[in-house]
Amino acid sequence: MKEKHDRSIIDQGITLLFSIIIVFCLLGAVVFSISHKITTEMSSSAIQNLSESLDLIKCTIEAILKKEAEFQVLMAQEMSVMEEPKDYILRFQKNQTMVKVSLILAGETEGISNDGEVFSEEGLDFSFGKTVEGIPISQSYLNYMGTWAYSMKCPVIRGEEEIASLYVEYTYDSFERSLPDGFYDQKAMLYIMDAKSERLVMKPKGVGERQAGHLNREDFYRANNIQEEELKAEVADCVANGKNILFYHRIRGKEALNYMWAVNGGSIYLIGYVPVEAIQQEGRTVNQNIFVVVSVMLIAFFLCCFLYYLNQRQQNKIRKEQEEEREIHNQQLAEALQAAQIASNSKTMFLSNMSHDIRTPMNAVLGFTTLLAKDADNPEKVRAYTRKIMASGQHLLSLINDILDVSKIESGKAVLNIEEFTLNSLVSSVDAIIRPMAKTKDQHFYVDVTGIKHEYLMGDETRINQILINLLSNAVKYTQEGGEIWFRIIGLKQRSSQYEHIRIEVEDNGYGMTPEYLTTIFDTFTRAENSTTNKVQGTGLGMAITKNIVELMGGTIEVFSEVDKGSLFRVELEFRIPESQEDKVFWEKSGISKILAVDPDQKACQNMQTLMKDTGVWVDTTSCIKEAAQKIQEGIESQENYDMILLDWTLLEDIKTIKEIQSAGDIMAPVLVLVAFDAMGIKETIELEHLETLAKPFFVAAFKERISEMQKEHIKEEPLQEAQENSLNGLHFLAAEDNEINAEILTEILEMEGASCEIVENGQQALERFAQAKKGEFDAILMDVQMPEMNGYEATRAIRTLQREDARQIPIIAMTANAFAEDEKEALDAGMNIHVAKPIDIELLKKAIKQCMEDREES
Amino acid sequence: MKKKRLLTLCMISTSVCLLMACQEQEENINLISTEEKSEKIVNLFGPMEKSNPDADNLARNAFDLTIIMAEEQLGVQVAYRTYTAENYQEKIYDDVVLDRARNNMDDVYLLNPDTIQILGSEGNLMDLSGLSCVENLRDVVKAANTVDGKLVAIPQEVVVNGLFVNKDLFDQYDLALPETPEDLLHCCKVFQENGIETPIGANRWWLENFVFAQGYADLYNGGDTEAEIAALNSGEKKYSEYMRPGFEYLQTLIDLGYVDAKKAYVSEAIEGEKEDFLAQKTPIVMAYWGAANSETAYGDPDFNLQVIGFPSSLGQMPVVSVTGYGVGTDAEHAEDTLDVLEIILSDEALQIYTETNKVISPSKNVEVECIPALKPLNDKIQEDIYVLGCNAGMKMEQWGNTCLIVRELLNGATVDECMAEFDRLQEESLQ
Repeated sequence: MKEKHDRSIIDQGITLLFSIIIVFCLLGAVVFSISHKITTEMSSSAIQNLSESLDLIKCTIEAILKKEAEFQVLMAQEMSVMEEPKDYILRFQKNQTMVKVSLILAGETEGISNDGEVFSEEGLDFSFGKTVEGIPISQSYLNYMGTWAYSMKCPVIRGEEEIASLYVEYTYDSFERSLPDGFYDQKAMLYIMDAKSERLVMKPKGVGERQAGHLNREDFYRANNIQEEELKAEVADCVANGKNILFYHRIRGKEALNYMWAVNGGSIYLIGYVPVEAIQQEGRTVNQNIFVVVSVMLIAFFLCCFLYYLNQRQQNKIRKEQEEEREIHNQQLAEALQAAQIASNSKTMFLSNMSHDIRTPMNAVLGFTTLLAKDADNPEKVRAYTRKIMASGQHLLSLINDILDVSKIESGKAVLNIEEFTLNSLVSSVDAIIRPMAKTKDQHFYVDVTGIKHEYLMGDETRINQILINLLSNAVKYTQEGGEIWFRIIGLKQRSSQYEHIRIEVEDNGYGMTPEYLTTIFDTFTRAENSTTNKVQGTGLGMAITKNIVELMGGTIEVFSEVDKGSLFRVELEFRIPESQEDKVFWEKSGISKILAVDPDQKACQNMQTLMKDTGVWVDTTSCIKEAAQKIQEGIESQENYDMILLDWTLLEDIKTIKEIQSAGDIMAPVLVLVAFDAMGIKETIELEHLETLAKPFFVAAFKERISEMQKEHIKEEPLQEAQENSLNGLHFLAAEDNEINAEILTEILEMEGASCEIVENGQQALERFAQAKKGEFDAILMDVQMPEMNGYEATRAIRTLQREDARQIPIIAMTANAFAEDEKEALDAGMNIHVAKPIDIELLKKAIKQCMEDREES
Repeated sequence: MKKKRLLTLCMISTSVCLLMACQEQEENINLISTEEKSEKIVNLFGPMEKSNPDADNLARNAFDLTIIMAEEQLGVQVAYRTYTAENYQEKIYDDVVLDRARNNMDDVYLLNPDTIQILGSEGNLMDLSGLSCVENLRDVVKAANTVDGKLVAIPQEVVVNGLFVNKDLFDQYDLALPETPEDLLHCCKVFQENGIETPIGANRWWLENFVFAQGYADLYNGGDTEAEIAALNSGEKKYSEYMRPGFEYLQTLIDLGYVDAKKAYVSEAIEGEKEDFLAQKTPIVMAYWGAANSETAYGDPDFNLQVIGFPSSLGQMPVVSVTGYGVGTDAEHAEDTLDVLEIILSDEALQIYTETNKVISPSKNVEVECIPALKPLNDKIQEDIYVLGCNAGMKMEQWGNTCLIVRELLNGATVDECMAEFDRLQEESLQ
């Protein structure tokens, strides 16, 4: 098909080419024809013009000859009446025309000239038989002046008797004065040739004219390379017969029109040539103009062709680009379709998984509920069932949270809540969650913090937590029992002094991932294994959420993994460093200005120094107990004691050495043991020596907190008391909840805690009920948000605007399934005091109510 | 983007051109051009050889270059009139130029040495010693062209005549280039023995160089030149005494058939002998310096051309004849003519002339290298070894008279008759 198409294009091109060639040929033929016609016509016209010019010159010369002859006849007539004609001759003064006048009396052979010299006819040749006005004219000759001349012989007749002959000599120079300087812009060459002798008697005289032959006709032929015998014969014939002749011949390399023009019946000839270029000057100009016009037209045509070609090329280029774009677009569409299909498949798979994942705990809930109904009389079983129902419920909740989270992030509605946080709290909270998980699988969980310069940072701690929990929980999840998990926080070189550049690495030696899976690990709804065929549970959204959050924070996430060798997730983030860093006053107040850190791990020592740099506390470090003892001793001796000694737990057995030194110096600086999570067998020693501990890795915030605790050690609160304080016993709530089941649960839970509540179905009713209530009737209002008629926010605003004394004090607690941070913010903005997300965690609810109550009391 | 700019520029240029083309020129009511033509004319009369198709005459070209220089600088037109005799029976150029000068037909004439002498002594030539170019002239030039104390002609080149020999033929027959008349006779004998019937190609003009070379070799090279000339002018010594050896030598050449007298008598310069010489049928001819450079003469031979002096008792002897431009005493355009001469005889013009023609310049300030063929002749000139073929200081005209008497010899006169003619002419000059 393509070949056929190409052949068609080639055929079209050839046809077009032939058409153009034919058009050009026709155009060329027309132009040539016109040009030729013009040249011919102009040439013909020029020949006519030249003939006229030559005729004019001929007439001029003939007129001169005629006048000369007439004057000579008059002279003869005058002499005929004179008694002594010789006197007339002798009196004659030569002039420019008549240079010599002579007279020979009849019957004599010699006469006299006007110069007094004897004159004879010798040297004068009248045999040619040519006459002017009937007077014989001689052949041309070189006269006594060295110039070419001719003589006319006129009889002097007295009565009827010829008494003498009058000879007058004329020079050709007189013609020169009467003829034009030149014709055809002086490009024409003009000679006068004596017909009999064929001598050139008058010649062009300018510089450069001399090379055209100057002697005679033969010389003229030779000089101008006219050697064709036929032509020469034709010319000779014309000259012999007194005819004119014009012929073309090249003269000195140029085509010329040669002429031989008879004057006075052929006694003399005008001969010469005119270059054709001079004759056809106008024709040539016309042809040149035609040529210019045609050239301009051709140039214009080719320019148009060129422009057309450029345009076509541009069009083709655009078309090609469009086609390429279309192809790319199609490809993208195909890819998108494929992706959509994959997504659809993923979603189908996801739904299938979710169906499975939701149904599984739901099955547990429903199943155990059935069992609960059956074994309601057996408290042991009831407790066991409720624990399992609770666990299943929690799992369901986490599933729902993840689904909502990813949809929120993907829709771009996620907002980071930037606040100050410490790495200490981050690490400890993560550690608190992950370590138990790892422990259940007998996994080793290592936490390592190095190179951090600032541990107080600005960021969304919750989201960072989410990232870390996701990564670490996955590490735990996909690592075999007894495996190892590393959690590293590494301080990188700062790009800006205002930002801490941190790399977070989560590494395990677990199952690892295939390269194919690695390419889709961050896509939504993907999971390493199908939950229906694998025991590992999850939504498949964790990594997508993680990646989205990292990118939301402007960071990067990479993953390296090999099957059966493990995985490494590397996250790089930048956190702004808060302006107010470590409070130096705290350390001054605490009386700590110099501490000694004893840790065999050099890096840990350096880390401590780095983190404490801004506190104003001098941190001295050593890696061995011996050196530590020496330093303490030196401190004592120089009375610059250490205010506190941080001792790594691995060196705990040498604590006595330190204590002894201190006792000897009567100085007892507190010793804080840096305890790693896997520290074993030190509990007894710590208790025995009454030592305080600080969890590794070292953080200033933790250190500071520990110091505060140590200073406040005497204030100890009873946990029971706290429990009592959190109790809701005797409180009465107004609860706005449109869902009957939720309302019932709430009622039951509150009743379990000794509290009571009155349920209304929407915000409007809540508003009305509160407005009607007596002051102090309700201790707080529990407000759902999404309700018919009037939602929770509107109701809260309305309540707060009521003209009641307690309208602004009554705690309003948002109890809603709208569990995001922005929902909490909106709730607070509407006038609610606190936000508790559904499903209700009774402990959280109790805490929230307690806090509200306290706030109310304070206000 | 660049293409668009280029196209825009092209279109703007085209539009401007079209607009300019369409612009109407201011029309004059009188359609005749009002430009005045130059009225200044200088009539120059000079000789001309017969023309050959497409042949460049270097000598003429050089002359033309100087004339064009004058025309451009002065705004004059130099009208060039020429004469060439059709055959030996016609008037020769010298006769014509005498007639024209005597009848004041032209303003300036290119004159041969004899006509300079004649016209100068007749008072028909203007004294040119006032021209500023005169102070640059070599002494030999001034001496040769001074008549009755007047410098009557100035040349554009010093004409040196020599023997043009086909060195290849000399080498072929193992002959040295002739130094003395005897050497030349030997060479001719050898050539003749080898089938070259007429070893010396001659015309009716230049055989007198043999006579001058032999007759005046001692006079101009070592003798008391002034005293001897004075003796000749006073009649104490006879020209015939000097001329006889040369004439006898010519007679010998004729008698031995080394020179074809009959052919020479009717042959014009170069015309008669050129063909055989270039065809390497004739090993020796005589000509002027410039003939070695001119395509119309011997400028492009197919053999090793050497130009040497004429044989004499003192060895090879160049014969110098000084032509010159003379201005008519009553020249119609005398002032313009003198202006033209000032330019064409200036060192600048002579430099162009000399470089173009590769000749010896009359100006002592102009020197150019000659072609290799002329080196033997040039060496002699540089050594001041030469004889003058003309000397206006001698009362009896030398060049023309000797030429005519040689023609008589060619025509069958005896040496004694020729000597008698010299004596007669000397007598006339003494009157």
